[in-house]
Amino acid sequence: MENPASLAFIQKNVWDGRVPLEVVLAPSESRTFDQTDPYLISYPRVSYLPSLLPKLRAFFSSSLIEPHSQSHDGWFAFEDVPLKWHYPIGLLFDLYAGVEPATRTSSRDEDSPESGSSLPWRLTVHFSNWPDEDLVRLDADGMVMNDAFINSVKEADFLRNGTAKGIMSLSKEDSSGLWKAVEDVNLSSFQRISNTLLPPPSQPFRNVPIRIFLPLPPDAESGSLKVVQSPLPPFIPASSIQSSQSISSRSSPSMQPQTVGTVLHTLLPNLFPSRRTPVLAKPVLHGAVLPLSAPIEEVVRSSAYGDGWAYLVVRMMG
Amino acid sequence: MSDPSLSAFPCLTPVEFSRACQAVAQAAWARPEGGWDSIRLVTQSTGSMLQITQHITDIPHNTLHSAESEAIDDVDDEEEQDPVCTSQPPRAMLHRPNQASQEALVRTARKPSLQVDYDILLSSTYRVPVLFFRLKWNHHHHGPVGLDAVYQYVVPEQYRQGLQSVGVMGGISLGYHPESGAPAFFVHPCNTADAMAHLADARNATPGTYLLIWLGLVGHCVNLHVPRELVAPGGTSPLRGHA
Repeated sequence: MENPASLAFIQKNVWDGRVPLEVVLAPSESRTFDQTDPYLISYPRVSYLPSLLPKLRAFFSSSLIEPHSQSHDGWFAFEDVPLKWHYPIGLLFDLYAGVEPATRTSSRDEDSPESGSSLPWRLTVHFSNWPDEDLVRLDADGMVMNDAFINSVKEADFLRNGTAKGIMSLSKEDSSGLWKAVEDVNLSSFQRISNTLLPPPSQPFRNVPIRIFLPLPPDAESGSLKVVQSPLPPFIPASSIQSSQSISSRSSPSMQPQTVGTVLHTLLPNLFPSRRTPVLAKPVLHGAVLPLSAPIEEVVRSSAYGDGWAYLVVRMMG
Repeated sequence: MSDPSLSAFPCLTPVEFSRACQAVAQAAWARPEGGWDSIRLVTQSTGSMLQITQHITDIPHNTLHSAESEAIDDVDDEEEQDPVCTSQPPRAMLHRPNQASQEALVRTARKPSLQVDYDILLSSTYRVPVLFFRLKWNHHHHGPVGLDAVYQYVVPEQYRQGLQSVGVMGGISLGYHPESGAPAFFVHPCNTADAMAHLADARNATPGTYLLIWLGLVGHCVNLHVPRELVAPGGTSPLRGHA
């Protein structure tokens, strides 16, 4: 908030972020079993998997055993785990791809050898046998996806403002425009609409929309993600932080910005025994390790996904 | 001694929600006749959850054949939760025979019914109760139950238009159950706090009464009615006084 220019710089980088995908057609649905050529694409982190389906359906059409399937019959799996399409691709990548996250020292070296081995991220696309126990079905005109996105936007808005009035009063055009801006990965048109929803930089959020995804045990059932969410005010009493952080000039002297470290230490004390230093686990957002000292409101203002949420993935260290 | 008033009204704290679930479950267990087909209280580290099962049996027969043509496969879900306490054993799970004998069952066996499993949880965003539900056909071979079936069979007629006209897809959406992660319908909770704030009775309510008022507000829209026994007039309701 002190540096709107740098927050905007981070946001632009987040929206420019892409993950390399290699999508193969499920062998059981292919005329050539596992000999079908894969589809390779570098895809925006803020996008959602179903937006790839029309291209994939066209690419694989000649290989499909079931020729009458439609693109909205398509669903994705990684190592047989059906992927929840209502999460942005960047989050799914951080959760499942197993790629070592970038750190302050390695972030400029994207072709570091240790990350090269598991890239591109290899997904399987299916166009039949929808897993009804795991995934909500899509519809032909994309209303289900649009609805899921807007519901998520509403939740973030409610947390930021304490009411749902902002999003409820958003015009129909802007509401669908917001979704279209995310679908098109059009940051400037996204900002025009989302700025009407966000409190101005001078006015702190009521609560900060952050969801924390816990590490998946190796024997985890598909879809059983452990998610932690709690009301997170952007400022907390200074006495609860034993650190030498300078007190924000805008807040009352007894309050300090809530940081990623104070949140994780409060909600997950066993994984984060320290507020300042990652000991057992580290938080990952957009493929990078998030500094524990980062104030959470700045994290969300700069690095939220299109629905207004920052989705942190907790990774065990060592 | 009366309950402390609701500290976060019109929202509920996790403790108040837990107490509300207990009060309603105990009241329902005390009056097993009438009431819901089953109610269970599930207590987990993540919070409490009230599970209520109802069966919709007055399915107009002529609606089934048209729906059947689009049937693809069967929904057959297992119970995922470990209930801490159970009022009545859940109805015997219908053993699902293979597809061929299932077809025969449709013609010869009992009347088809729609089982609705409602789960009441505390929304971690809105801090109000939120109603999730899943649908399952009994004695009828049918595909996954979609939103159209929810409006056709579950939503009482007087609420259909109002519910369908709000939001992108109406006041009921398909989402993911916060506990099981499985797809489930839910009634949008974003306006619940405002609605509760306008109900004078709710302000000074006990947690249990809050939840009953909420059920009257939200449950009705999806055929989850509060049994008359639970809101007996004249102060005899088990929800007053202690919870």
